[in-house]
Amino acid sequence: MEPLERFESVEEVVDRFRSFEYVTTEQVATVVYLATELQKPVLVEGPAGVGKTELAKTLASCSDRRLVRLQCYEGQDDTKALYEWDYGKQLLYTQLLRERIDTLLAGTTELAQAAERLRGHEDVFFSEHFLVERPLLEAIRSHEPTVLLIDEIDRADEHLEALMLEVLAEFQVTIPELGTLSSITQPWVIITSNTTRDVSEALKRRCLHLSLGYPSAERELEILRLKVPGIGEELLRKVVGVVRAVRELDLRKAPSISEALDWARALTLLNVPSLDREVIEETISLIIKHDKDVERVQQELPRLLGLIEAPAEHEHEHEHDHHHHGHHHHGHTHPTPEEEAYRRHAEGYFGAIGSEST
Amino acid sequence: MDAPILRFVGLLRQRGVRISPAETLDALRSLGAVSLERRDRVKTSLRATLIKEGRDEPVFDELFDAFFSVDDRRRGARHEHDHDHDHDQDEPVALTDVKVSEEPPEFDDPSHSHTPPADVAKYFDDDQLATAKRLHKDGTRIDLAGLSQELILGERKEGIEEAVAALRHVLHLRRLTNPGAPGKLALDGGEMVDADLTVGSADHLPALLPSSMLDDVQVEALRRQVDGVIANLPDLLRRYLEKLMELERPARTEDASPAYKAAFSEEERRRMDALLRRLARELRGAFSPRRAIAARGRIHASRTMRANMRYGGLPFRPVLVAKRQDRPRLILLVDVSLSVRNTARFTIHLVHSLQSLFSQVRTFAFVSDLVDVTPYLERCELDEALGMIFGGEVLDVDANSNYGHALATFHNQHLSVVNRRTTVLVLGDGRGNGNPPHVWALDDIRRRARQLVWLTPEPERYWHLGRSDLPAYAELCDRVELVRDLDQLEAVAGTVLRPI
Repeated sequence: MEPLERFESVEEVVDRFRSFEYVTTEQVATVVYLATELQKPVLVEGPAGVGKTELAKTLASCSDRRLVRLQCYEGQDDTKALYEWDYGKQLLYTQLLRERIDTLLAGTTELAQAAERLRGHEDVFFSEHFLVERPLLEAIRSHEPTVLLIDEIDRADEHLEALMLEVLAEFQVTIPELGTLSSITQPWVIITSNTTRDVSEALKRRCLHLSLGYPSAERELEILRLKVPGIGEELLRKVVGVVRAVRELDLRKAPSISEALDWARALTLLNVPSLDREVIEETISLIIKHDKDVERVQQELPRLLGLIEAPAEHEHEHEHDHHHHGHHHHGHTHPTPEEEAYRRHAEGYFGAIGSEST
Repeated sequence: MDAPILRFVGLLRQRGVRISPAETLDALRSLGAVSLERRDRVKTSLRATLIKEGRDEPVFDELFDAFFSVDDRRRGARHEHDHDHDHDQDEPVALTDVKVSEEPPEFDDPSHSHTPPADVAKYFDDDQLATAKRLHKDGTRIDLAGLSQELILGERKEGIEEAVAALRHVLHLRRLTNPGAPGKLALDGGEMVDADLTVGSADHLPALLPSSMLDDVQVEALRRQVDGVIANLPDLLRRYLEKLMELERPARTEDASPAYKAAFSEEERRRMDALLRRLARELRGAFSPRRAIAARGRIHASRTMRANMRYGGLPFRPVLVAKRQDRPRLILLVDVSLSVRNTARFTIHLVHSLQSLFSQVRTFAFVSDLVDVTPYLERCELDEALGMIFGGEVLDVDANSNYGHALATFHNQHLSVVNRRTTVLVLGDGRGNGNPPHVWALDDIRRRARQLVWLTPEPERYWHLGRSDLPAYAELCDRVELVRDLDQLEAVAGTVLRPI
């Protein structure tokens, strides 16, 4: 298939991502659409495991573009990110061409004259043939359009960020010996950051900004349903219920979507029909990665279980009896007061346009 | 299209969001790409192009809703009441004709004096108004403040009274805590005991203050000093205040002769040296993963080749690289007010003796204002410099501690000195005397720094007494350590000051 040149609309982004099993929100789809329309990099920030890298991968596969990935790490420098001279090849060529050089210089009597004649040929050794392309250069010099993923930029040193500025803003690379190489095709650029440190202002200014958080209950259900096809509806709801409740606890590392997926897959493989205390205790290590956190969750288990046991009853109660809610009853399948307020607010706000201006 | 967006950007800037012209252009371009029918998409587009920091998002949401939705409601109003305004068709957000109050505040523009429909108010969202800030007059010419005041006052008269009563409560306490001048408000200066006690924390007092901690004779002496002022307070509260004053006493005597007190005893010096030697041992051997060109080290093949292309590829001049020692930088923010003075003295001394271990040490002292005292410490003898700092020559040490102000000042003026190699040490008790704590400033510092360590002289059980902001700050810190004297500092320093 031909690589996609551009998306027609935000809806197309949503549809294409969906067909590759990535559930977007309106916000994500709009930003992706804008990025491709404006040819701007997107800086995606958010906790680990909420699908930042996956976003770039899906963008590549749903548009049939090649994914070029630059994984950042501390101590990385331009020879790993941009380009490097292939010194071995240069050396080899120098040796092989020695005789030719001799003939070239034949007839020169003075050193200055020989040097002058050589100077006319020095381009041979600093040409693109001897250039090893690293991801950044590769993405812009590729003849087929690409998606460039710069992963976990917060791990890289700040000087590497500075190196990227030229690539990201102008889609070009300046090599002192060669001059400026401009892009053959413009890549779509996704930069991810776990915000272990602030990315520099200069870089942020050149990017669209998207912050990805944990998904809403509905979106999480949808993601699991899509990605874990064999899962039963009851198990699905309970898994999401527990994961969301665990997220509310004060943990060192809250489980994100990727952990929820692992857990759901494992439970499906184990052929567990539903969650009970024993099952959770045995498999909790799939979503909790720190010993202290495991202890904390163990303590809260009875409450978590109570939460997922009677969701229907809870629903009912919620309708009629607002004030008798004990604290522990406030289920996480329900929006928190803030979410509730926000939802009401948003509805009133969008509703107001239609109802009052006509 | 452009004018409202520029105006919106102007409003955001007024609220402290940094937006560059390039970003404004991006925003305009992005609106060309999405359909303007969908408000959520317009909002997302503007957010993605203009807002790059998480902390700015609430401001953006608030302003977007106020700015664009009020406009819409106004149109609805106009339609209904069939006003014959025609002067702002091309500038849909210039809200020149909205009045929200029967009695316009005096700063209202007199040129729009036609009486508004009284029921215009119903187009405003009550929730929004309750929290609504007064949008600045230059931004859009709508003023929500008048109406929101009315709403708040009208709906909850008793709320105002409650607030006044609460204020009065605090006022009483403040007055009492300044025994030097009874009957006057302790607005400035002096020995403000942080006694903004809530009734709730008074309940905790018996558990927190074992009677053995109070020396009866001292208590009696103190009581005479402040006789009559404290007498009518509940007994527990009085004991707490006395206890606090007692804690402050040594600091005050020290205040009398700062130069002398800032000096160190031989014993202290000896232990400090030992501590430094131990630290130096622990700090040695921390290398950064980056290799840099060095006089001796391993040959870097590709760099050698590149450098020797001019010799026909013969490695005539090898390029050597070595792992560089990664010396961390240290930023010290020290509260030098009375309550933490003793600890501050030790810490500044310690850190400046560490100059050789850290590639850079900078010290900022604050009470309310924040001053970079590094030059003093570099130019003068340490004892002399400490005397100057604590003696009030460099900054006003008798002001009330204001952590929020100090942190915000640091954030605004000195944030660039913090980077990922920097360890930030804050020393203080976190008592901001009820001033806004500006936790966001510390959060920003944390995000830029390698690690953030808070040293406090107060044990954790006192934190929630007397309105300390420390619990809020502590959440952000990589670690919070209790440090009251050299012993504890010694224990902490070994682990805290280790790079990485």
